[in-house]
Amino acid sequence: MISEITLEHTLPLVFSGMEGEEPLRSSQVWLNQVRFTLRGYYLIEAESGTGKSSLCSFIYGNRGDYSGRILFDGKDISTFSIERWCELRQKSLAYLPQEMRLFPELTVMENIDIKNRLTGFRSKEWIKSALERMEIGKKADVPASRLSVGQQQRAAIIRALCQPFDFLLIDEPVSHLDERNNSIAASLIAEEADRNGAAVIATSVGNKIQLPFTSILSL
Amino acid sequence: MMKNPVWRLLRHNISAAQLAGYALANLVGLTIVITAIQFYRDITAVWNAEDSFISRDYLILSHHVSGLGSVLGTSKTEFDDEEIADLEAQPWVRRVGRFTSSNFNVSASVNMGGNALNTALFLESIPSEFFDVEPDGWHWQPGQPVPVIISKEYLTLYNFGFASSRGLPQISESMISMVPLQLSLSGAGRQQWVKARIVGFSSRLNTIAVPEEFLKWANAEFSEEPARAPSRLIVEVNTPGDPAIRQYLESNSLESAGDKVDNGRAAYFLSVTTAVVIAVGAIISILAFFILLLSIYLLLQKNREKLRDLMMQGYAPASVARLYYIIVVAVNAAVLCASVIVMLIGSHLWKEPLQSIGADTGSPAVAILTAVIIMSVITAGNFLAISINVRRTFPRP
Repeated sequence: MISEITLEHTLPLVFSGMEGEEPLRSSQVWLNQVRFTLRGYYLIEAESGTGKSSLCSFIYGNRGDYSGRILFDGKDISTFSIERWCELRQKSLAYLPQEMRLFPELTVMENIDIKNRLTGFRSKEWIKSALERMEIGKKADVPASRLSVGQQQRAAIIRALCQPFDFLLIDEPVSHLDERNNSIAASLIAEEADRNGAAVIATSVGNKIQLPFTSILSL
Repeated sequence: MMKNPVWRLLRHNISAAQLAGYALANLVGLTIVITAIQFYRDITAVWNAEDSFISRDYLILSHHVSGLGSVLGTSKTEFDDEEIADLEAQPWVRRVGRFTSSNFNVSASVNMGGNALNTALFLESIPSEFFDVEPDGWHWQPGQPVPVIISKEYLTLYNFGFASSRGLPQISESMISMVPLQLSLSGAGRQQWVKARIVGFSSRLNTIAVPEEFLKWANAEFSEEPARAPSRLIVEVNTPGDPAIRQYLESNSLESAGDKVDNGRAAYFLSVTTAVVIAVGAIISILAFFILLLSIYLLLQKNREKLRDLMMQGYAPASVARLYYIIVVAVNAAVLCASVIVMLIGSHLWKEPLQSIGADTGSPAVAILTAVIIMSVITAGNFLAISINVRRTFPRP
């Protein structure tokens, strides 16, 4: 259970030495004190190349090349053990990476099942109905490699929701979705976030997901 | 089993050829190691079966008897204190014991199926601490029957020389122990009958041995002359096959009974050969271990992205490594079973010739235990390598 994520003067190492320059000088995230709390909808708006995917990786704990600190409920995440990270990624922290990271040789259903068999969080019926709702029900048994990027994005969103979470990190979740599919995905995410009492941190370089954002930060 | 999509992902890039190569190489190495161990144990079991009282680390030394000298009385047969001190100073000698011999007349009489056999005898004793295993009831007190160990060769002489030509029954080792024996001791104007009992046979002690305390008592009782210097010595040595022993014996014209030095040399040679063979097998096994290690590293390297992606989903390193653990255990268990079977077949093949020369072969427990230990170590090494490698791949700050 995480109830608060705090960034303290966080900066990707590649930007060190550029502190006084744009876009860092006007960034509301880098080198600032930022707090994300439960039930918030946060949008991180960014130009490309400002480290938006890096921010998601730092928070998800799969990269550590930054200065400053990131805290979960006041505890520095760089001290967490492997076991702690596994537990967080199963129960508290859900993540949709920008490049989705679906396994191309597995079908859509198998890709989702890989997450769900670990958490046991969703029923087969829920997954099927979510696929239908996202309009990729017919693709359930098709290998992920044969899906369009937009279809992959929708499958990956469902996979990310197959676990309990306090914070959902979605890195450009709708970059390849049209207006209608954007709102379908947004409504599913919002429903699940509200049901979990969770917060959503979304990033966007332009096409932003249609969520009821409570806070918009520019990176 | 392959319904699990995780395993379907991770089994990609597993090379059956590499695993088979490893299995074959390790099978050869392990089989050589444990077969050599089993062979060594079987052969040494044959040697040790020869004598349960006196181990092969002992030599029984006497002066070389040369034709005329002994008849004329010019060459001596006894060891003086100086000679014994010189022997004790040799680096290959652990300790030296002196034979005590009887200085009085002894004759034995056996009553066997109505035939009374009488024979003149001599008795000797060695210090009790030179027995590896003390025979049952070896200690003697006045009034008790005297325990006796005789040379196996005497029994052979009786059975195949004397008994067959005189039409007497042949007797086995266990039968003779039950035959009551009467000893007549005489000298210094006294004579006494004592009961005696054969408690064992030895192929290394070429004498008729009685407990030291009995001989002390009898010599005091019946001997007319002072105690003589020993004519034979029992020597415990460090390495039976040591070439220095042979050199020393030759230069001092000493003889070792039954030429056990050669036996010792054979034992020495066998242990050196076995060590070399085991070393070769061990090297093959070690190389095989590295083949598997390399194969695992390659496999983990090829599947690195997938392992990382699975752990990004929240999979623990141990659970993604489980498939590889299972493969390692399965292959190693198969190698273990196969090599134990090959070793057992081999030992069965040489068991028959060994049994035909009347020896019991050793049990395969030690060889099997060695195989289990080696495979456990290899498996543990593989587990450690997999675990370290997967944990290093784990996505964390």
